[in-house]
Amino acid sequence: MKKVLVLFLAFFLPLGAFAADREVYVFNWSQYIDPAVLELFQKETGITVKYSTFESNEAMFAKLKILKKDGYDVAFPSTYFVERMRRLGMLKPLDRAKLPNMKNLNQDLLDKPYDPSNAYSVPYMWGSSAIGVNAKVVDPATVTSWDDLWNPAYKGKVLLMDDVRDVFAMSLRSLGYSANETDPARLKEAYEKLLKLKPSVKVFNSDSPKQPFLNNEVVIGQIWGGEVYQANEENPDIKYIYPKEGATFWADNMVIPASTRNIDNAHAFIDFMCRPDVAKMNCEYVGYATANAKAQEMLDEKTRNHKAVYPDKADLDRGEFQTDVGDAIMTYEKYWEMLKTQ
Amino acid sequence: MTRGSRFRNFAIGSPMLWIAVFVVVPYLIVVLFSFLTRDPEGIVKWTLTLENYREIFSPVFLRVCRNSFVLALGTTALTLLLAYPFAYILTRIDENIRRFLLVLMIIPFWTSSLIRTYALIILFKANGLLNTFLLSTGLISEPLSILYTETAVFIGLVYTLLPFMILPLYASLLKLDRRLMEAARDLGATSRHVFFHIVLPLTLPGIIAGSTMVFLPALGLFYIPDLLGGARSMLIGNFIKNQFLTTSHWPLGSAASVVLTLLMVVLLVWFFISTRRAHSGDMETVR
Repeated sequence: MKKVLVLFLAFFLPLGAFAADREVYVFNWSQYIDPAVLELFQKETGITVKYSTFESNEAMFAKLKILKKDGYDVAFPSTYFVERMRRLGMLKPLDRAKLPNMKNLNQDLLDKPYDPSNAYSVPYMWGSSAIGVNAKVVDPATVTSWDDLWNPAYKGKVLLMDDVRDVFAMSLRSLGYSANETDPARLKEAYEKLLKLKPSVKVFNSDSPKQPFLNNEVVIGQIWGGEVYQANEENPDIKYIYPKEGATFWADNMVIPASTRNIDNAHAFIDFMCRPDVAKMNCEYVGYATANAKAQEMLDEKTRNHKAVYPDKADLDRGEFQTDVGDAIMTYEKYWEMLKTQ
Repeated sequence: MTRGSRFRNFAIGSPMLWIAVFVVVPYLIVVLFSFLTRDPEGIVKWTLTLENYREIFSPVFLRVCRNSFVLALGTTALTLLLAYPFAYILTRIDENIRRFLLVLMIIPFWTSSLIRTYALIILFKANGLLNTFLLSTGLISEPLSILYTETAVFIGLVYTLLPFMILPLYASLLKLDRRLMEAARDLGATSRHVFFHIVLPLTLPGIIAGSTMVFLPALGLFYIPDLLGGARSMLIGNFIKNQFLTTSHWPLGSAASVVLTLLMVVLLVWFFISTRRAHSGDMETVR
């Protein structure tokens, strides 16, 4: 019995108590990097990549919060988590001298409110959520505003994201407020406006909003640009419209957690990811828009010019990146529960 | 220690250790968290409170519970109606056909239920197999709206949970002593009488077991209603998930889990008592 116990314990004891100077611990979303990139990095630098994945920002946050040291060297949070982690002292400031390849990035994506002057984060992939329409049923020229979703003609044919922040961002923007509003009175107003939209909604979906469009279940609704790009391979009638009130933008970013084992290797990895050829490999493998302007130029013309994936500067400037709303998220969730149980 | 008893200790001990480490301990953490305070800067603050339980008994949560219960009850009733005649016929037919039918029922389990739910979408969507077929035969002129309705949710839940109802019913119908039915008929009972006074009471344990095995999962499942129903309403599962993933309110999510578990315990106790009663009932019948 004792022997079994010893074996059992040996099996579960952590094995990784080795030196970290030739290793870099990377924590990324699943399916979010070209595996060949990791091999190339290992071959060129001699640094071994220890790669793990997560499925949600919250899961990543919880894990990084618990690890006080010997954690990960590079993680990939979304914009609003960059802000929260920065505020809580969970990130190490970046040393720009060690990141010469940052010059390749799309300058329009830098210095956003979630991380002014990019002191802590480097954008990796990005995209938008705006209005999708099926041009067979809805004339795209008649749709210019989020308010068009409330048009009674589309009753029972509207899709909304199944995500409290995305849905409220849309309602708030249509009222002329920020997508990152924290004022309870304005959130209430946005909720009351959404209540009027609820009977028109056929489906809430944020796993793959293109599917209800392709299945002819909905004709108008919220969708990600990248999903429209993919949907167009099957049905070119799905069109993407940036509303005049502005779309919501998201970005996933590379950061160095405070629990890093080796900050030099972390910088080396991030800089490598900013190399145009590497960014192009990742972009082609993952399928989202790259934040790397040089890599974007190297893509084929059809992808590079697809407005759903790479918007004009005007549309980008009109939109807003999601930032952390702090404890106001409780108010959001309260109204979301009320909306869903009405 | 003899070799036999050492093996017995190991055979009992290792699953017990497994359950202790991966079920009991995590669950105790959930119970503990349900009495702690939310920490916006991290995960939980070590301040004991009953606030989470007070917060949970809000009108919104009660509506969420009601939605889940209606769905689970409806699913249980529908599966019972479908499964009972099927299980009954199953015990009456040739053994080879019976075995073949049982295998057919098990085969879908080789595929993940999530994937089977996506397959139902392909079947029901506006331009899916069913609508395309009906349109081409001229039976309908416009696609039927099935996907993202309550009908689709019930079809999905019943489809996924039906075997859990059939198997216990089949087991208890198989044990049914045919001579009792023959005797009743000889004494002049009609088929209806035989069914309601003999077959139904004797298979009550199977009905209760099947209903529990359908009702409890139906209460917690939320991906089938989300995928097939369009996520327009909120169920207990969604509520718990949102507390963990959206608001990072782990204590409130934990409290909701504890409440759900307690409800299930109450149901299981009821199940245990009614089965015992049903068994003592059939002792009396035999006497």
